[in-house]
Amino acid sequence: MVERQSPLEPEFHVGSHGNFEHGVDILLTETRPGSIVQLAAWPGEEKRLIAAIRSVTGLALPDGAGGGVNDGVKSVFGFAPGKFTAADDAEGLAAAFAKAVTPEIGTVTDLSHGRTAIRIAGPKAEWVLAKFFAIDFALPAFPVGAGRSTAHHDVFAQIQRTGADQFDIYVFRSFARSFWKALCHASEEVGYEVQ
Amino acid sequence: MLITCPYCGPRGVIEFTYQGDGNRERPDPASQNFEAWNAYVYDRLNPAGDHNEIWQHSGGCRAHLRVVRNTLTHEISSVAFVRGDHGSAARRKAEDKA
Amino acid sequence: MSPRRTDTGGRIDRLKTIRFTFDGVAYTGHAGDTLASALLAKGVTLFGRSFKYHRPRGLLTAGVEEPNALVTVLKGEVREPNIPATMVEIHDGLVAISQNRFPSLAWDVNAVNQLGGKILSAGFYYKTFMGPVIGPLKGTRFWMFCEHFIRRAAGLGSAGSAKDPARYERMNAFCDVLVVGSGPAGLMAAKAAADHGARVILADLEPRFGGSTNWSDETIDGAPAADWARRTVTQLEGRDNVRLLPRTTVWGYYDNNTLAALERVSDHKEQPAKGEPRHRYWAIRAKSVVLATGAFERPLVFPGNDRPGVMLAHAAERYANEFGVLPGERIALFTNNDSAYRAAVALKKAGAAIVAIADVRSELSAEMRKLATEAEAEIFGGHAVVATEGGKALSGIKVQRFEMVTGALTGEERSIHADCLLMSGGWSPTIHLASQAGAKAEWNAARQAFLPPKPTQQWIGAGAFTGSFSTVEAIAEGRAAGLAAAGGTGTPTALPTVEAVAGDPDPAPVCEIRAKGKSFVDFQHDVTSEDVRLAHREGFVSVEHLKRYTTLGMATDQGKSSNVPGLAIMAEALGKPIPEVGTTRFRPPFAPVSIGSLAAERFGDLRPERLTPMHDWHLANGATMYSAGLWYRPMIYGHAGETVEQAYVREARATRESAGIVDVSTLGKIAVQGPDAAVFLDRVYTNMFSTLAFGKARYGLMLREDGLAFDDGTTWRLGEQDFLMTTTTANAGKVMQHLEYFLDVIWPELKVHVTSVTDEWAGAAIGGPKARQILAACVTGTAVDNATLPFMGIVRGEIAGVPVMICRLSFSGEMAFEVYSGAGHGTRVWEALVEAGKPFGLVTYGLEALGTMRIEKGHVTGAEIDGRTTARDLHLDWMLSKKKPFIGSAMMDREGLIASDRLELVGLIALDNRPLNGGAHIVEALDEANPHGSIGHITACCYSPALGKHIALALVEGGKARHGTRAHVSDPLRNRFGPVEIVSNHFYDPEGTRMHG
Repeated sequence: MVERQSPLEPEFHVGSHGNFEHGVDILLTETRPGSIVQLAAWPGEEKRLIAAIRSVTGLALPDGAGGGVNDGVKSVFGFAPGKFTAADDAEGLAAAFAKAVTPEIGTVTDLSHGRTAIRIAGPKAEWVLAKFFAIDFALPAFPVGAGRSTAHHDVFAQIQRTGADQFDIYVFRSFARSFWKALCHASEEVGYEVQ
Repeated sequence: MLITCPYCGPRGVIEFTYQGDGNRERPDPASQNFEAWNAYVYDRLNPAGDHNEIWQHSGGCRAHLRVVRNTLTHEISSVAFVRGDHGSAARRKAEDKA
Repeated sequence: MSPRRTDTGGRIDRLKTIRFTFDGVAYTGHAGDTLASALLAKGVTLFGRSFKYHRPRGLLTAGVEEPNALVTVLKGEVREPNIPATMVEIHDGLVAISQNRFPSLAWDVNAVNQLGGKILSAGFYYKTFMGPVIGPLKGTRFWMFCEHFIRRAAGLGSAGSAKDPARYERMNAFCDVLVVGSGPAGLMAAKAAADHGARVILADLEPRFGGSTNWSDETIDGAPAADWARRTVTQLEGRDNVRLLPRTTVWGYYDNNTLAALERVSDHKEQPAKGEPRHRYWAIRAKSVVLATGAFERPLVFPGNDRPGVMLAHAAERYANEFGVLPGERIALFTNNDSAYRAAVALKKAGAAIVAIADVRSELSAEMRKLATEAEAEIFGGHAVVATEGGKALSGIKVQRFEMVTGALTGEERSIHADCLLMSGGWSPTIHLASQAGAKAEWNAARQAFLPPKPTQQWIGAGAFTGSFSTVEAIAEGRAAGLAAAGGTGTPTALPTVEAVAGDPDPAPVCEIRAKGKSFVDFQHDVTSEDVRLAHREGFVSVEHLKRYTTLGMATDQGKSSNVPGLAIMAEALGKPIPEVGTTRFRPPFAPVSIGSLAAERFGDLRPERLTPMHDWHLANGATMYSAGLWYRPMIYGHAGETVEQAYVREARATRESAGIVDVSTLGKIAVQGPDAAVFLDRVYTNMFSTLAFGKARYGLMLREDGLAFDDGTTWRLGEQDFLMTTTTANAGKVMQHLEYFLDVIWPELKVHVTSVTDEWAGAAIGGPKARQILAACVTGTAVDNATLPFMGIVRGEIAGVPVMICRLSFSGEMAFEVYSGAGHGTRVWEALVEAGKPFGLVTYGLEALGTMRIEKGHVTGAEIDGRTTARDLHLDWMLSKKKPFIGSAMMDREGLIASDRLELVGLIALDNRPLNGGAHIVEALDEANPHGSIGHITACCYSPALGKHIALALVEGGKARHGTRAHVSDPLRNRFGPVEIVSNHFYDPEGTRMHG
């Protein structure tokens, strides 16, 4: 497989930045999953789609809007009624789903190139994200595994909480560099490290 | 102004796009009744009070919502998916409404 | 002597000296000082010149409501005007200057305006607008003549023009309980809510929490009130569920309990820490709010009440107790209520002599007489101050017997030597946020104040905000409010005990002493009591009109100190009680807000921008980039020494002669999937898509519901239920919303999903006579010959080991192909194509050449599909299917949309061989002196290398019927007039032989 070019490249500077002398409170990285897939069920077929997700990824989705789960390699979460985003470190998820999600159940759309996954972690992750998004990042309101769809100005974002202090943000690839720069800028006051 | 999206919960109005009067009825596509088409495309109520509106949660789940909003107070008395066929699993539980 | 620093007392750190300058003079102060307290401690009494009359002005207050002492703070090249000196915390290196004075604060030439007071009275702007009715300066010309001088003479500080390098940020916050104000009521509320487990935000506009505890002489739970406050704050600090926001002004209360606040994060520092913003704009969504915003003391209105040295009583108490500064040595007081007596005692304790207390009330309580005795002050009961003396500082006052009911002044004036006069006209609860939240304030005759209305949103009031002016009440109400806001119920535990001087909260209903001389109601705008009466005489009866006519309570002041006295005087003039006169609605912001904080991160380098996968390649290869919406696209790839025109002409010519390649990744791309996808597309497009074969593409046109043209593009059929729709770059978002609307709202029964895949694919369009040969040289896994890849055919293959989709379609009019690959492989495929093209003379081209070639071909874009044109206007009626209804089909044939005089698309050739301009009008007969008679306008123009002429596309009345006729461009703005020939929009290769090859 040919390696994909990251949209962040010229602005991706590994190391510590900003006000880090007093400690690094934010870790930023691009997770670069091999696959990002959007799954959408026809009305009434959501349960079968959730079953298909389980059969392909082994992940059992919890009930309810925005429910999600992450096992460190694969992740899936709801972002809209009957719609889910699934990601896998490995490539080929879209092809696997194309078999499991029959036309009667719904559709599979490969977005492996079209979305960029940025991970923000650390004790100040909620603080920095609150500068961008008008949603409540507190753990009781946004539990681990759950997904949210929101936007920062023109930048659409799907956000999955993948740890108590960790969030994976899926943005459109064309916006990724601009968003990354803004994220780095906003992290300066608390000190951040790019990994 | 906040709109409580049945899927995403309460969000700022900046995440939503107004998609028009919710009272419009689109004539049959093949209809040549100009009166009906004209009413659908141009005629709008302008009530001082409760108004049926369609909003898209364009900065979120992108679902279209039927919103009843009071044009005098901005108070929103109800929000529901326009589509009736989103299962209950697609709704936020009441206690999630933070 | 005048003001001075006391030896002890106050919450300043006398061991820490801070150096700053004011009007170029070096001063020192201490940590904890404001600019106001530090300057006052050095004997400075003159802080500014007034708005209209340039009268000398000193400090009236010690807080955010300060109307007089507005200063400009300079940071490098950046100047921030109109900041109250009372809100500026001093730091080393602070540079502040006074405002509205020329040439200097002490000697101001415009002070002569005082003599012309009649001219600058109420409504002076509007009156000058009218002007004389005849003569060279009649009407508004007179205004224009005067404006220059008035604008220069009247006003506040001037804004700078240097770019502000400071960082501003926005923060979104959520909480159960937002407590505004950190006095005893706010602290109790925050603690009660936090103890109940609620998420709490406590905001106060001062740097020190505690409100009145910082300057009252009261004790709480046996300790000085300030110690109690500090202990409570320490307890709150240690809790996870509490966020403390000092230096944070909550300035707006909006729908759904959304509040706006401004945190001044680093204004008080010499240098912000790395990455630290200057201001932070907090957008707070609170389930409930506790308003504990306290009250503002009101001035009394009497002649000379604006002289430096006259200040509010509690402000002096604050300067003494909080900052260790005595505002004078010989202090007199003038009051209509009990609270001033507390100030008298405090200032006496701090070391001043209290020379007199003039009280409009003739009967005084025993408690107040006792306090006056404690202050060793002579009481003048039933007296009023009728004049003040002195220049830039107070030297004395005159008092006279005053009859409260009639307002009559009798007996001899008596002079009293004093260097400071403290006044108290009662207290107005700070109800601004409650007023913003929706409901009307209610007048309370006993308190002589507007009290907060009944909440229409989720807020609860506590303390002085509700008109409960004692600390005992504040503590009880604060705890109850905090608990209720957190959803708890009453607890039986004991409240903190308070030791405080008792006093009657109700003032005497006197706010003005009518004697000779200017008596100021609104200090910031130089509105006198006479101005209010003049407005009434001139027919202004509504408070809203009064405000606008006199400017009473406008600008940064927002009626903080002037509201009630202004209304009272108006009510008296009208002969109506105050509740019938009403009050103006307070509007956001409560206090001035930096524009930077509102813009936050959305300016400069942090604006969101969209980049194509090949962006860096373009930059590295000489492209000049051009912003198209949020996208950045190559405009030209210029060679050294080339002009833009030379570059695009070279690029377009080379493409038509050999081959060119352009980045088309920005085109909107939408995956349309599902069993009903073809049916859906038939309804959305004017032409048929259900008949499109797999592996083929078709050009499609969409209309709006009203029958006008909406967008165009090609849609590719990738499978039975799988289409890839492309849209114009500009309309990608709009088309997506259009499709989603119809699927969700109109046709929910259709099984179709639409997904934006614009960013999934990198697109390169390669066109020209050599394009096919270049593809053949680098594509593997498929042939690209005419049989395998016919016009509008699609094949899949590989380039440089990467899967690609190739569709043969043409925008340039040449034999052309669009090559799509995964975005992460975009640069790799692009480079392979460029490499393969080298032997064939392939050029890269940008938007200018793209536009040139499309104009030559007469293709339409957003300039022609402008929301006013129909398919027929654009000669696209061949795409309107008659076999099916589609969006817009019912409305497109309305009378007005098929009229013969509509503007239609045509081509233009400049007969004078000079460039044409977009937007220029077309006329039948030229009249340069009096341009008129437009028959249309130019939508796009270029120099055409294929024709060797300056050409344009235009929308012209009659359209085709004018082909072959002459007309003129008439462009008076750019002074471009000249003859043109009207021709078909298809300038170049109208039969399409080149692209069909």
